[in-house]
Amino acid sequence: MQIHRVVRELVTTKRNFWLAAKSLRVVEDHKGNLEVALDPIGAKPGDFVVTIGVSAARIAAGNPKITTDLTIGGIIDHWDEARWRS
Amino acid sequence: MKICQVEGTLVATARIGSLENRRLLVVKERGSSGKQVAVDPVGCKPGDWVIAVGSSAARDAAGSKDYPSDLTIVGIIDYWDESGERAGVKADANPPRRA
Repeated sequence: MQIHRVVRELVTTKRNFWLAAKSLRVVEDHKGNLEVALDPIGAKPGDFVVTIGVSAARIAAGNPKITTDLTIGGIIDHWDEARWRS
Repeated sequence: MKICQVEGTLVATARIGSLENRRLLVVKERGSSGKQVAVDPVGCKPGDWVIAVGSSAARDAAGSKDYPSDLTIVGIIDYWDESGERAGVKADANPPRRA
């Protein structure tokens, strides 16, 4: 699992059937690389989150048929940018 | 499996239900700069060197096939000397011969 920061929401109306109506977020890692993660929790921009990758991401989405390779697993209570970048 | 050093506990109260109340640790993989988060079913302390499994083996290692983990700690390394690691490998490869 990795530590990401939520950048913003992402809206895709026309989408793969197995993405269902799950909400998506743009997240960045400590180097500033952007990725898109499925969000079952409801994280807000600026929140530091734990993201789950590979096949575990599909289980974390609540249904193994959901086509995702990155899912937000939790919102981190205390985290700061200096610790993240170091 | 990856060799990682434990940095500390990670508190995430708002989490998906399937993660349950398992302990999450921030770990640093040996030889890489970025931090990762691992599920800890073993019970590690900060500073411990551990081995961690990834991909679908991480799900089994966390206790069940339906547990959403992509990195799970499977063991604490008894002895790992980071500074003298290279020298240690050499010494093991060519053990001193005794008559």
